[in-house]
Amino acid sequence: MHFKKLFQVLVLGGAFLGAAAGCAQANAADKDKKPPADAGTTDSSGGGVKGW
Amino acid sequence: MSSARRAAAEAWAFRARVEQEAALRFDRLAEVVASFDPDSPVPAMMRRAADDERRHTELCARLAGRLGNPVVLDRDAAVAAIAPRSLDERKAALYEVVAACCITETESMATLTTLLASEQDPEVREVLHAISRDEVVHSRMGWAHLSRESVAAEVAFLGPLVPGMLAGTIDAGLFGAPPADEDPEGLLRLGVLSLSKKRAVFLGTLEQVVFPGLEKFGVDPEPGRRWLAHAAGLR
Ligand SMILES: [Fe+2]
Ligand SMILES: [Fe+2]
Repeated sequence: MHFKKLFQVLVLGGAFLGAAAGCAQANAADKDKKPPADAGTTDSSGGGVKGW
Repeated sequence: MSSARRAAAEAWAFRARVEQEAALRFDRLAEVVASFDPDSPVPAMMRRAADDERRHTELCARLAGRLGNPVVLDRDAAVAAIAPRSLDERKAALYEVVAACCITETESMATLTTLLASEQDPEVREVLHAISRDEVVHSRMGWAHLSRESVAAEVAFLGPLVPGMLAGTIDAGLFGAPPADEDPEGLLRLGVLSLSKKRAVFLGTLEQVVFPGLEKFGVDPEPGRRWLAHAAGLR
């Protein structure tokens, strides 16, 4: 298993793509905006996403 | 039916559902991310990813059917958001992107590359190839979003939340014993890892890809590491 290669391709490759466009802005206005009530957010701890 | 065929048919049916959920999730997240980071390349990647996942759903479902487990997909399926309620919209989106892409899609890529390193039946291999080409981007878009947010916003809040993401991604049996009739070779030919291999890939990917990646962008991996040591009984 080439974990090192995965780190380069996925983590570093992803960061590179993210940096290719203008920087994200910190948003002051809707800083405390909550997700819509129907978004189905869970309680305190949060959950995960099942995969392969 | 052989034990490998039965288990593989179940695994592909499960994958079909996972892919369907991913499509819905990426459609939703694309909109949210675009609302606070309009210059980001991530929303466009997510919309393409959602289309990919719809294709993958069909591929996985078809394979499950051929192996003897026809999948009935709920066309009106919805997918729940998973972030803790205490987070604001932007942080909730980051939580979900990290869980879905940085963790789950990265793990999927590791599984796919491990599978593709051995031989499969031709039809299975074709599906694995088609899917792995897309999953690379699905993982990358998570790291892309995390790296952008690490510059623009606060991401350290995620550290203590990583255990919840991990707990929600594994299935209950991952750290247990394999089924008595498990046929690792037969499973591999049908595109499925044996339990011990699956565990090794999961742990290796967390330790060598996900945790270092989180740390690189300012998310403390230690709570995740502690959770893992406990869950895997490595204390
Ligand atoms: Fe997929
Ligand atoms: Fe994916």
